Amino acid sequence: MIEEMRHEAVESEYDLYFGPAHPGSGNFGVKLKVDGERIVSARADPGYLHRGFEKLMEYRTPIQNAVLSDRLCVLESLNWNLIHAEAVDALMGIDIPERAKYIRVIMAELSRIQSHIIWYGVFSKGIGFDTGFKMAFGYRDYILDLFELITGGRVYPAGYICPGGVRRDFPKDSTEKILKVLNKMDKMIELAKIENPTLKARTKDVGILKRKDAIRLGATGPVLRASGMKTDVRRDDPYSIYDRFDFNIPVRQEGDSYARYLIGIMEMIESKKIIEQALKELPNGEVIDNSLKKLKISSNIPEGEVYVRNEIARGEAAMYMVSNGTGTPYRVKIRGPDFLHMIPVLEYLLKETQIADVPSIYWSLNICPADMDR
Amino acid sequence: MVKRSKKASSMRKLIRAIWIFNWFNSCGFAELVPLVGSRWDMERFGMIIVGTPRHADVLFIAGYQTFKSIKRAQRVYEQMAEPRVVIALGSCTMSGGMYWDSYNTIKRLKDYLPITMYIPGCPPRPEAVFEACEKIFQHVKELE
Amino acid sequence: MVSRESGLLDEIKSNFKIDGRVQRERRIYISIEKQDLIELCKWIKKRGYIHLSAMSVTDWLDKGKNEITYHVWSYEDKILITIKTKIDRSYLKIKSVSSIWHENAQIHERELFEMFGIKFEGNQDLTPLFLEDWSGPPPFRKDFNWREYVTSEFYSRENERELAYYD
Repeated sequence: MIEEMRHEAVESEYDLYFGPAHPGSGNFGVKLKVDGERIVSARADPGYLHRGFEKLMEYRTPIQNAVLSDRLCVLESLNWNLIHAEAVDALMGIDIPERAKYIRVIMAELSRIQSHIIWYGVFSKGIGFDTGFKMAFGYRDYILDLFELITGGRVYPAGYICPGGVRRDFPKDSTEKILKVLNKMDKMIELAKIENPTLKARTKDVGILKRKDAIRLGATGPVLRASGMKTDVRRDDPYSIYDRFDFNIPVRQEGDSYARYLIGIMEMIESKKIIEQALKELPNGEVIDNSLKKLKISSNIPEGEVYVRNEIARGEAAMYMVSNGTGTPYRVKIRGPDFLHMIPVLEYLLKETQIADVPSIYWSLNICPADMDR
Repeated sequence: MVKRSKKASSMRKLIRAIWIFNWFNSCGFAELVPLVGSRWDMERFGMIIVGTPRHADVLFIAGYQTFKSIKRAQRVYEQMAEPRVVIALGSCTMSGGMYWDSYNTIKRLKDYLPITMYIPGCPPRPEAVFEACEKIFQHVKELE
Repeated sequence: MVSRESGLLDEIKSNFKIDGRVQRERRIYISIEKQDLIELCKWIKKRGYIHLSAMSVTDWLDKGKNEITYHVWSYEDKILITIKTKIDRSYLKIKSVSSIWHENAQIHERELFEMFGIKFEGNQDLTPLFLEDWSGPPPFRKDFNWREYVTSEFYSRENERELAYYD
């Protein structure tokens, strides 16, 4: 009879919903089929933040779209601003002034550092390392003060990187202020590199993703670089002026959560290098093209199509814009890295793991639900 | 001894410390999680974040809501115990905001939940949140 | 300057019947008929184009056609090819490419089925992804005007604050 009871206890599977009101998850739900402590299968449940962004852009002109485009993913708003501005520039055939090109790169890299700091803080909180969380959000506020000085908003820069250049010039002595903030980042990176034994124990050999599976499932960015593939859109498919700067691409071979965590820290160092080089070479001049200086609301976009690829903090992001000669775009398709990371990659990684490992895998993929649902 | 109604006396006990359950959609996360950090420290005013609605006094709703997520927010509100307060943050939450012509966002939050206080902004600054909490303390002191 | 891309385009032209052009370095656009699509995709994947960057649909209402675009990238060649094909608006069915690019293509097709109503034959799982209890037409089609829908469902002219939404 004991054999029968044991057989019944082992055979019972149940459903667990790891959902949006849980303190350890974002605005995203995962339906888990669990057998004891072991997860049998997982199914993603997206859609909590769907607003139909792509069709909203069809009703607005490029100047209005520039303000809307920073609300695509709130954690890295300047990078999405840059993608939209590059798409409209390519369709209209505008060549932007040199000073604007350097300012765009500086702002995009500052936004990347700020996004990686959030990743570090939230990842530490998810696995129980509370000091990392408090420290990260403390250091991030220095960068947000810089944003407020230059663009006017702490989180949403109100379309600062717009088609034709940037909205307004740097205020006086912002170069010294940026360099001061970068020195403070040095201290934060030193503290983050300390090898904490709890962190290592909870993230080593957890959620291993091999290189072939990563490419088949569509992973890009830090997730792909942690699995052994040396690729970066800034190096392979250069956009803006990234081919003038000298930076490394960090790669690791293991593919587990600890490797993804280390790549996030190493990328912050590379971004710092790029900003320092750009500040040295910053030329003088205009910051916005003359034809768009007066912000005419009703100018037509010439007919054509363009596909713009960028590297944002989370991976590869792209925008496909089609225009038929009127004042608003005809169709905009937005490709975000999190659409692939949160549905196929997460379902694959959560098979045959334990419930206790779910936050460690989930936060190491650096997710942003707003980017996935659009 | 001043005679107060039952609701007023139970609300005055709230005033010592507020326990918050947050329901943040996208924008709320980037601007309001720093409230917990060391620069805008909200623990010095007695406010902490709890993990379950059964422990909470205040429900913070931030960010635009869709039909799918407002159903879950209503369930969370039903699980809170009296006395309870709902605060809405951001202009997209209260009135549709920038997504006024989207087919999937809700346009008037007060059709779904009873709201005590609105905090406008896109997104609101941390100082605005502290001022709103100060107004709640004032309102509770003057209740009878 | 664009010699590599022109060489690749000539090689594809000699094997398939296509219309193609080179837009700039690292960008090639190809148009092909619906029945030859799967052959071209299999050939291109063997050539090294293993990463499907995005899949999208453009709804040309006045021409009566839907245009499906596939954007594929190769890590060795470092070129992006956009493959475009048109199907009729009255018969929205096409073969799926999830046998070629696996889960990456499968999730893109699931989203496009929900938003445009195109049926991809051979895709295992076309259940709704983002929307719950939606009973209207596929939302991203060009004949579904959002501003008319929203002003008739949610707002009213009696409310003077909402008068501005009625143009």
